[in-house]
Amino acid sequence: MKWNVWFGEVVEEDGKLIAKKSSDLVESFKNASNPEALPFNLPEVGLQVFESLEDYYRTLRKIAIKVTSEKVERELKREDRYVILLLKALDKLNESINMLEEKLRDIEEVKISETTEDFRERIEELKRLRRRIEKEIEDVITKIAPNLTEIAGAVIAARLLEKAGSLERLAFLPASKIQILGAEKSLYKALARMRRGKPAKTPKHGIIFIHPFIRTLPKRKRGRMARFMAAKLAIAAKLDYFKGELDESLAESVRKKYEELRREKDKPKKEEPKQERREEKQKKMKKPKRR
Amino acid sequence: MKEVIHNVFIIEREGREILATKSKYGSHYGERKIGEFREWIPSRSKLAAMILKGHIIDIKPDWKVLYLGAASGTTVSHLADIVDEGIIYAVEYSAKPFVKFLQLAEERRNIIPLLEDASTPWKYNGIVEKVDFVYQDIAQKNQIEIFFANIDMFLKDGGEGVIMVKARSIDSTAEPEVVFERVVEELGEKLEVIAHGSLEPFHKDHIYVHVRKTK
Ligand SMILES: C[S@@+](CC[C@H](N)C(=O)[O-])C[C@H]1O[C@@H](n2cnc3c(N)ncnc32)[C@H](O)[C@@H]1O
Repeated sequence: MKWNVWFGEVVEEDGKLIAKKSSDLVESFKNASNPEALPFNLPEVGLQVFESLEDYYRTLRKIAIKVTSEKVERELKREDRYVILLLKALDKLNESINMLEEKLRDIEEVKISETTEDFRERIEELKRLRRRIEKEIEDVITKIAPNLTEIAGAVIAARLLEKAGSLERLAFLPASKIQILGAEKSLYKALARMRRGKPAKTPKHGIIFIHPFIRTLPKRKRGRMARFMAAKLAIAAKLDYFKGELDESLAESVRKKYEELRREKDKPKKEEPKQERREEKQKKMKKPKRR
Repeated sequence: MKEVIHNVFIIEREGREILATKSKYGSHYGERKIGEFREWIPSRSKLAAMILKGHIIDIKPDWKVLYLGAASGTTVSHLADIVDEGIIYAVEYSAKPFVKFLQLAEERRNIIPLLEDASTPWKYNGIVEKVDFVYQDIAQKNQIEIFFANIDMFLKDGGEGVIMVKARSIDSTAEPEVVFERVVEELGEKLEVIAHGSLEPFHKDHIYVHVRKTK
């Protein structure tokens, strides 16, 4: 048996517990997890590698404060969380506004009164709040993810962040994943079909598909545009996460690609005619289910 | 002046009784310093409220404590005065309040701060030792489950625990009385319930439950 403890490892050899001190206590502290309750008491075994209990606790405290301070600092910098939570709230707010407007319409059909006017005023207030939240999301996402925002626009950039869960995670996603972010539901359905032995195509388009550069292209060109954009977004996410500075050439290359595809004559390219057609069919299949 | 727990005093002042801990440290959350004492404000700390309601737990100076939901350290600061030869492992999952908590941890020698989620105790299972006391104040719907998981992993046999429960966080629609009854019953299925009671008027619709782990 072996256990991960904050000061290193404890191993059981010939029925005896042996403590081994790690050369990097910060690292071992971070990895000190064990699924089951320990069958020994930590400081007791720790005394094998520490001079005294005092030494044990002094070291533990020092490492805990160091690791925790770093963690806290990292967490606080996570304005990405702020954006994600705002976005989730915005979705709920939208639902509420729609629902309230519907109720109000029902009432107004019967009678318009001071009360219904008051009601309407409150809904207008909620709409003002909605605009403020949208503005805030835009401000923060532009600040924390300038490259993603430049390419995809604030709305899609924020959604990508939400779907990935954090800027860090987004930065480590491959382009192929970014391309289908937001399509998890249909992906899941497709996989379920396949498990049942039925034919199914995995989705190729996620949230980025609402981007005007993709939407305004003829259907058979959209796949190529989406792939290109996803590749650039993957680079953008890494830039945003590690450097946070805008590199305008990225968005520029996306625009160029769009112009190029738009101008391209309607004859399918020789290299990938098959794939284009496959995507074409798949989109047709998916369409009715989506709306 | 009466010492009710090690370093915990009830002091007569201006005709009123106030709770305080004997402390060589300064004010942490805006509480008054009265000579060598720090006032322990019951509306800010549920543990203080419990004591003032007359339920006194004999916390020993050398106890090892696991504290879940440490926030910025209001209660921990007083608990650290009490277990002045012990250790407090303090778990909190929100970074914001923990900034202030870290100042406390720097100042005191008996606090180990852990920015972790109390619902995943295995993540700090190689750090926290077997403890004499588990205290939980996290106001979560599944807080009892979390309490059990931590007690299973860290509380010594015969060790004690206190859980603070806000009715509304368990069930926002049911009557508080009903919620509390259910909570006490659920705790009683696995632990010995030593005492429970309301924290009114200091904390509305809150109760404490004091338990012991018996084999
Ligand atoms: C009511 S406050 C605690 C106040 C503190 N006990 C005091 O008296 O000084 C509840 C705290 O529990 C934290 N919390 C809630 N759920 C948690 C969890 N699963 N793990 C760790 N902390 C949690 C919250 O972030 C919050 O800071």
